[in-house]
Amino acid sequence: MSAIIEIKHVTKEFKVLNRREGLKGSIRDLFSRDYKTVRAVDDISMSIEQGEIVGYLGPNGAGKSTTIKMMTGVLEPTSGEILVGGNVPYRNRTKNAQEIGVVFGQRTQLWWALPLIESFRILKDIYQISDADYDEMLKLYQSLVDIEPLLHKPVRQMSLGQRTLSDILAAFLHNPKIVFLDEPTIGLDVSMKAKIRTLIHALNQQKHTTVILTTHDMGDVDALCQRIVIIDKGKMLYDNDISHLKQFFGSYRTLKIRIKGDLKQYAEEITEKLPRCSVSADDEWISVLVDESQTTVMQVLSELQKDYKIRDMQLEEISTEEVIKKIYEEGVK
Amino acid sequence: MTQKGLRFYLRIYGKILAQDLKSKMSYRADFIISTIGMICTNIAGFISFWILFSRFPSINGWGYYEILFLYGFSLVSLTPVQCFFDNNWSLRQYVYSGDFIKYCFRPINLFFYFQSEVFDVKGLGQLAFGLGTLIYAWVKLGLGFSVLMILKMIVFLLTASLIMIALQNAAAATCFWIQNSFYVLDLVMRFKDYAKYPITIFNSVFRFIFTFVIPIAFIAYYPSLVILRPDAVPVLSWISPVIGLVFFWLSYRFWMFGALKYSGTGS
Amino acid sequence: MNLKKYLTLTRAGIIEALQFRLSFLILVAGNLLYLIVTYFLWKAIYASVETDTVNGMTFTDTLIYLVLATALYGFLEMYLVWEIGRNIQSGKIVLDLLKPMPYRRYLFWSYSGSFVTQFFFTFLPTFIVVSVVTHGAIPLGINLIWFAVSVVLAVVINFSIDYIIGTVCLYTESIWGINIIKQVVVLLLSGATIPLAFFPDNLRTVVHFLPFQSIYNAPLSLLLHANPDWQTVCSTLGLQLFWAAALTLISAAFWNRSLRQITVNGG
Repeated sequence: MSAIIEIKHVTKEFKVLNRREGLKGSIRDLFSRDYKTVRAVDDISMSIEQGEIVGYLGPNGAGKSTTIKMMTGVLEPTSGEILVGGNVPYRNRTKNAQEIGVVFGQRTQLWWALPLIESFRILKDIYQISDADYDEMLKLYQSLVDIEPLLHKPVRQMSLGQRTLSDILAAFLHNPKIVFLDEPTIGLDVSMKAKIRTLIHALNQQKHTTVILTTHDMGDVDALCQRIVIIDKGKMLYDNDISHLKQFFGSYRTLKIRIKGDLKQYAEEITEKLPRCSVSADDEWISVLVDESQTTVMQVLSELQKDYKIRDMQLEEISTEEVIKKIYEEGVK
Repeated sequence: MTQKGLRFYLRIYGKILAQDLKSKMSYRADFIISTIGMICTNIAGFISFWILFSRFPSINGWGYYEILFLYGFSLVSLTPVQCFFDNNWSLRQYVYSGDFIKYCFRPINLFFYFQSEVFDVKGLGQLAFGLGTLIYAWVKLGLGFSVLMILKMIVFLLTASLIMIALQNAAAATCFWIQNSFYVLDLVMRFKDYAKYPITIFNSVFRFIFTFVIPIAFIAYYPSLVILRPDAVPVLSWISPVIGLVFFWLSYRFWMFGALKYSGTGS
Repeated sequence: MNLKKYLTLTRAGIIEALQFRLSFLILVAGNLLYLIVTYFLWKAIYASVETDTVNGMTFTDTLIYLVLATALYGFLEMYLVWEIGRNIQSGKIVLDLLKPMPYRRYLFWSYSGSFVTQFFFTFLPTFIVVSVVTHGAIPLGINLIWFAVSVVLAVVINFSIDYIIGTVCLYTESIWGINIIKQVVVLLLSGATIPLAFFPDNLRTVVHFLPFQSIYNAPLSLLLHANPDWQTVCSTLGLQLFWAAALTLISAAFWNRSLRQITVNGG
């Protein structure tokens, strides 16, 4: 099996303006400008097979969207080589565009004033989709989601969830080899997130579409990706399976406890008491990440029991969320 | 790679246009107010002429009806840019917000895809007003009528349109480099108001500038001469269709260059 | 009123405006070209009459009037209607209404930064250039003080008119249409495009009863007369003061009334 996306030693540099601060600075900027070079992507290589779903992760400003822009042909790399489906994307932007689909979480690419079905019909012409393929795709969509109420609704009247769903359907319409999804579940409620994950998974299974997914929501990663690639400050930190990654953190376990009261406030208190553990709180649980090579869960628990009345507890393996957080903070050892 | 032909693009444009019109009809109030606004603009221009000529008999040997002819001519030739290229006005907002990137992922011409998104109906109101003015001036001047004149008229109106489109494209595309490009567009739009005056009012330096650098003289003056002063048509009038095409092509290249350069930066 | 929190907005506006260096150059260059066109046009117009003075205006008077009108336009036209209209449509208005000051005042002070930059970067240079080029045709005496007072009142009147029109956007989505109607009416009837002196007598009488002439005609007339008699000064400024007060009240009342009646879209 040959790779659908092949990236070799890709680097991308930008020149950015150094703005000075304050009123005086603004006036000085008027007369002299100061540029510096920023390396947004630094020597990245990867190879992705047809049909994979790859989670492309990294903190804000890590260089994710720059990489995606290079893969979609919008940007030319400063150095290195990219092949997408055998094409050099930036040399054959339109040819490459025929083979890919792109969704940006908050930016719809559909015609604002038109009902979804009309957008589909225009896309059918733009991508020169045959009648048979088009009908087959619509049938598939109908079997996967309740598309009827969306079809005749103008995009501008849709909720964010409906719009994202529509954008995803539009991106898969011409049966592209690769679909890039940039934070597809951002700002959506829990049930819509689940719906969209199911849809992406089903389309990937049915059409064997390669999916490159960037997200900050580890729920997306858990639900969809076997493989993740992590970059930060333009450099590649990790490229392998999630399970493999979790082995790095085999000595870590998460102790979840429930206390009555303001959990966020307790979490802060506990952070002070247990400087070596990372503590977080959600609506139900306080999670304490314990590195068992340093201390034991039992020790931590008895420590906590001195000060709090623990009503309930759970012990879990390290979550993806915490693994990623640790990598962002400390890197891969 | 399959090269997509004119037919492919016309088909898509037709489809988008039909849908767009359909959805516009559901915003009738907006349509009516915009049309009134367009007509107000044109009436105000007309009144300015009228006030001016109530005090002054002529401008540089050009009488009331001749200037009116130029005015009508410029209005008609502005129609295509108003109707088909109005999305240029929103370009800087798409660029500023980063939404412009969404146009870069389709397997069709970027410029076409961007412009096809908006068809501005109110340009048709301007067309009607311009045609009315043009015909009124035509009759009052007693220019006569022949098929050849009509043909000439159509060719030169198209020429003028191309120039106007080129100017607007170029002005809109500056937003890929500078942030507050609204001033540039606004400036070009103000210049088009001057297109309706004969270029002979300027000294030679500015005649050169308005002919070759900011070619507003081609929006009404040079093409109109063919009809208005058929005895003394300068060479520039006859070659203006070629100049129109050249300027349009240059502006298109400039626009595309900016678009491809831009989409790289920002996040 | 705690002035400091308002001046913070002014300062922020100045910093923001200065970010756009190239836009400034273009603005200045554009205005310069525009002035050149105006110069040649009116030279040609005056060449068509035998007398030097038409309706009390010499060529130089007219030129100074129009050039400074353009410079005034640079900081009077703040595209406020667009801003309000777009904020209403996007629902951003909700956030602005939550600011710890009345929306009207918030907008005014947000724009005050542009007033300041525009004054120094366009109006003042233009004024100096015109003053030098015309060899002191602009009288520099007590009239400058009347002019300054008059401009401040013009800013207030113009802002209030814009605010009233902006409020109309609560009722309709047609921002473009509403704005263009306002723009052409104001520019024509305020004497910004053609000095009111050239208007036919009956039209001029009507225009004098409208608030628009207080925006451009009033300050510019005061500026062009070296020693205006007290009667003229008092009646001009008095009328401006009346309109400034009346329109401020009307715009505030209209806004408050409308806001109560209309539910804001989106958000």
